[in-house]
Amino acid sequence: MTKRTKSLNLSRRQFVLASGGAAAALASPAFIRDLKAADEFKIAAFIALTGPASLFGPTQKACAELAVEQINAAGGINGREVKLIIADGGVAPGEAAKTAVRLMLRDKVDFFAGSHDSAVRQALVATFKGKTPYVYTPIYEGGECAPNTYVVADTPAQQIGTAIPWLYKKHGLKDCYLVGNDYVWPRVLNEHTKKAVAAAGGSIVGEEYVPLGAPNKFEEIVTRIKAKNPSFVMVTVIGAYNVVFNQTFASFGLDENITRLSALLEENTLLGIGKDNAKGLYGCMSYFESVASPDSEAFKKAYLAKMGDKAPQLSLIGTDIYAGINFAAEVTKKAGSTDAAAVAKAAVDLPFKSAVGTWVMRSNRHVDKTMYMGDASSGKLEVVETFKDVASGETCK
Amino acid sequence: MVYSRAIDILLIVAVLAVPTVLGDLWAYNLSLVYLYAIATLGVGLCWGQAGFLPLGQGMFLGLAAYMSGLGLIHVAGGVWGWLLVVPVVIVPGVLAFVIGLLIFRGRTESGPFFALITLAMTLLAFQIATAWNSVTGGFNGLRNIPDLAGMSDFTDRYYIAGVALILAVAFCMWLIEAPIGVVWRALSQNERRIAFFGYSTATLKAAAFGAAGLLAGFAGFLYAPQQNLVTPTLAGFVVSANLVIWAAVGGRGSAIGPALGAVLVGVLSTELRDGGGFGGGLDALWDFLARFWEAVVAGFFIIVVLFLPNGIAGLFAKLNASLKRLGRLPFRPILAPPVRTEGAAGPPALALSGCRVAAGEVRILNGLTLRLDRAAIYCLIGPNGAGKTSTFNTLSTELRMQEGEIRLDGEVISGAAADTLAAKGIGRKFQIPSVFPNLTIADNLHVALWGTRARLVSLLRPSLRRWDTPLLATLRERFPFLAQRDRIAGDLSHGERQVLELAMALAAEPRLLLLDEPCAGLSHEDTRQVIDAILWAREELGLTVLLIEHDMSLVREIADHVFVMHQGALLAEGDVAAVQADDKVREVYVGMAS
Amino acid sequence: MDPLIVAQTLNFAYAVISLLLVVLGLAVTLGWLGVMNLAHGEFVMLGAYVAVVTERMGWPFWAAIPLTILFCIVLGIVVERLLIRPLYSRPFDLLLATWGLSILIRKIVEAAFGGGYISLTVPVKGSLDILGASYPTYRILIMAFTVALLAMLLAWYFRSSAAARVKAMVGNPMLAQAVGIDTNALARNTFVVGTCLAGLAGVIIAPVTSVNPFLGLDYVINAFFVIIVGGLGSVLGLFAGSGIIGGLDSFVSAILDRTSAFFLVLLIAIFFLWLRPRGLFARN
Repeated sequence: MTKRTKSLNLSRRQFVLASGGAAAALASPAFIRDLKAADEFKIAAFIALTGPASLFGPTQKACAELAVEQINAAGGINGREVKLIIADGGVAPGEAAKTAVRLMLRDKVDFFAGSHDSAVRQALVATFKGKTPYVYTPIYEGGECAPNTYVVADTPAQQIGTAIPWLYKKHGLKDCYLVGNDYVWPRVLNEHTKKAVAAAGGSIVGEEYVPLGAPNKFEEIVTRIKAKNPSFVMVTVIGAYNVVFNQTFASFGLDENITRLSALLEENTLLGIGKDNAKGLYGCMSYFESVASPDSEAFKKAYLAKMGDKAPQLSLIGTDIYAGINFAAEVTKKAGSTDAAAVAKAAVDLPFKSAVGTWVMRSNRHVDKTMYMGDASSGKLEVVETFKDVASGETCK
Repeated sequence: MVYSRAIDILLIVAVLAVPTVLGDLWAYNLSLVYLYAIATLGVGLCWGQAGFLPLGQGMFLGLAAYMSGLGLIHVAGGVWGWLLVVPVVIVPGVLAFVIGLLIFRGRTESGPFFALITLAMTLLAFQIATAWNSVTGGFNGLRNIPDLAGMSDFTDRYYIAGVALILAVAFCMWLIEAPIGVVWRALSQNERRIAFFGYSTATLKAAAFGAAGLLAGFAGFLYAPQQNLVTPTLAGFVVSANLVIWAAVGGRGSAIGPALGAVLVGVLSTELRDGGGFGGGLDALWDFLARFWEAVVAGFFIIVVLFLPNGIAGLFAKLNASLKRLGRLPFRPILAPPVRTEGAAGPPALALSGCRVAAGEVRILNGLTLRLDRAAIYCLIGPNGAGKTSTFNTLSTELRMQEGEIRLDGEVISGAAADTLAAKGIGRKFQIPSVFPNLTIADNLHVALWGTRARLVSLLRPSLRRWDTPLLATLRERFPFLAQRDRIAGDLSHGERQVLELAMALAAEPRLLLLDEPCAGLSHEDTRQVIDAILWAREELGLTVLLIEHDMSLVREIADHVFVMHQGALLAEGDVAAVQADDKVREVYVGMAS
Repeated sequence: MDPLIVAQTLNFAYAVISLLLVVLGLAVTLGWLGVMNLAHGEFVMLGAYVAVVTERMGWPFWAAIPLTILFCIVLGIVVERLLIRPLYSRPFDLLLATWGLSILIRKIVEAAFGGGYISLTVPVKGSLDILGASYPTYRILIMAFTVALLAMLLAWYFRSSAAARVKAMVGNPMLAQAVGIDTNALARNTFVVGTCLAGLAGVIIAPVTSVNPFLGLDYVINAFFVIIVGGLGSVLGLFAGSGIIGGLDSFVSAILDRTSAFFLVLLIAIFFLWLRPRGLFARN
């Protein structure tokens, strides 16, 4: 929920009067108050409050709130004040669907945004049935083409298509070993990797999957990689597995000669991996805290002003929902309403604000964006290369 | 009867009234909770009735949900989809029964081990569901499951789930009040004892597990079309653990308890989690709860576990029991059918030859050989440690023989299970009275009656609770307290329990009765009465009795034939006079008053 | 010798020994007291966080060992008194209560430290050359430490009078009480020892794992399988269980892949539980 300051109150009323909004706005203050309350534009954000991704919860919440505050400071959406409702996307898909129904029926939410896993996304899409617009924001395996559903998330084409050719060229890489968790996202990433590696003149010398729930230790896999001695390892294990894999990799000395690209390497995971274990480790995403651009500096400034000393670590998972909510605002403003057809029309080639700059929603309901190559070896993800306007590669109609 | 039924009717009305009274949203939320409640009822049957904890109920729920989803997608949707209920309910039920048989057969009191096997299975099920992408849709789940006919809007889904829950609760009530429920409860109190009445404990426990599987199947069948998505987490550990927690909180011992727990905790969790939006100064509290509601729920159920062992339903248990008694109809007995024993008629011929039992260095039985072949009262006497009770234990295979053979009517029975022995007509009364303390006197006697007279399937018929025999009627005359049908056996005095257990042993009308110090701890009058009862039963039933006794005056009075044991072997045998005159016996019994 | 084989053999040894270290505390509480403590993994996790606090205070890594022992003594006493003792006679309720405790501990740690991954500096860096294969030094140290710890515990178990009292209490509680053994205090102390061993394991493995509130969940289920498959209450059972569960996982991971290993370990656990529910080498 958002808190409003007194000054916002005033500026909103001034704005409404100045823009000559509805005739009713000229009536008595009481009527304006009723109108405001009834006329709030509700955005519900599903974020990881509990569950295995709950470490992102605080930053996701902060970014979502920041987005809404900035939108309201600029006059809201079509004269309506935005109210943010936070919901838990870290629960089982069935439970998330229940929350979604409550939000649709009781709270009459106008727009949904979600930064959570694909199973929950599918449950939500099945619940919304295209009735309410929904923007999905974090990184994922691609393929979401449901109607009235918009995707701001990084796709495999964006990550792999840029990173692999660059790494191969820069380090003269040859053979590649694939290590990932055993579910759809790593497997899709690996399919893209195989094509990109082949195109770069390399070959795949190993492909391994670790089931989710298996013990978090990698000595045997790392020893096998050591024996194969590839020049490059594509790492698609996630979360705590990502941390332990990279720690073990380095402790066996493989970081000396082998380059690694981790698909979900963001700031929190790198903190867990530690500087000592990050030599030759790269990540490729659409947001790093170290991105230096006027927009990202402005964003960081606003974020730190809002959260102060104890600001939760900035990361892609967090800033994604900032972008998603901004998209929701922009597309609704342009469409004039949240009617599905109007939104679909307004969304084509629509620019909106993200934490690093302007992103553009395309007709395939995905975003072509600027991707950043992050070098983790200093213990922080430093941007070493920028790829502008990378296509999402999705074929939704 | 009438009064407790009234409460049931009130609850049904309440369930059906929710959409009208509380609105669409509540109805929608509760629909899913009700399905979980149905699965929780299964946990309650296993844990609260039969006394073992299944940590893998989610596995059957997930299996059924996937079957239902796949069936609706590939086989039949709409109206025909309803036919899927048959395979989707039966397959998990049968699977659970078979798994239960495999696990329980040949071992008693497998307690925590069973819990862990089911835990391992549920982890395996989760892995299979995640890995078998082509069939289950992998980690992201099986999506776009079509609706069943009649399930299109929220209120319809609610009524279907509500009616399903009511049916499931009725099913549980039926089982709990049926003879099988009594037997399950007896089993959970004393598994060793119940086997001696002729029950195959493995089959009984497997039956409970199978019933739980049926319930999970029913819930899973409705889950797929209701949620339109099935993910592997449904089959996994967290869901299974939640089901157990809800059963504990609600009260696992009753029919409604587990469902109550599921609804309460389910609703509590949702409210804590989604409760934000109330505004005002409570914002900080709601923010905190949104992240830490699991801790609140965990704290809540720790408190329930510590202080309310019978769950919330347990708070109403006394009220419930009084209501049941209030409206009770008078007892109209039915004559029980005769005992089904295998093997020969006439007095049993029991022969132990050269039995040797050792535990490490200690020789418990050292070449014991003895024979019984008349309908008489045999006494087994000897100093402490001679191996008398061990002889009984060896007979019922609680002690393993290293050497030797036991034959009944010429057939080898060494190593036979307790229920096989009961089927052959061997009954046993233990030294420490082993009645079923939480059952009533009537139920204790019924358990004894049913063991060798009823098939497992007949245990589902309520009429069995009216069985009676002339033998029991006579015993009630001799020992009037046995007529107090509703008294809880745990409240009886030591003497009364000895008599009750004897009555139970006699009620099974065995051919050979092993009595281990039946008069231990009894007063003079009580001893008199028990001895008279044993003598009468011997006449009435043509019973052979093998009696362990220390009191020589009793032995003199009733024994037709005496075996004297010493250091695990037979020292001497014969009638009382012969034995008393035997030099070897005198040597061993130096110092014993005659 | 082929360095790959040497390395995988060392991995095998490490897998078995490190699992043994983590399970040691549970072997005491489950094997001796019969307490199915589902919060065992969380005790390990707390030990890891003590190591985190130690590093943040700027103290040397090894200082975490006495700190965690102190912390676990207090924790063990409190948990035993409030949660375990009232529920000794109700084992399944105890299992549930410890599961609730594990959720509470996870959430408290998350509230205090945040949910993120914390990395610890490895106290001894570098590798050792063993028969041509280079193996991380710290992992060798973990193995050495565990072996030494085991040797100490075994010496205590087979020699000391306190151990004799524990064995008496475990074998026949009523008789033990009758001869004047204070079973309440002994049970409490045994539980505390189990807690301390768990916390100690957490400290030692913290540098090679990802320290976060969910750390405990990683270990608890395998730990139970080790104890049950190996057999409750016996030292041989502890070795057998760790060898089978940890060794099988490592061996199949080395030869085939992790997915097969995971499936096989589950299947073997089910198999053993089914055929030998008292475990291989149960205390009789």
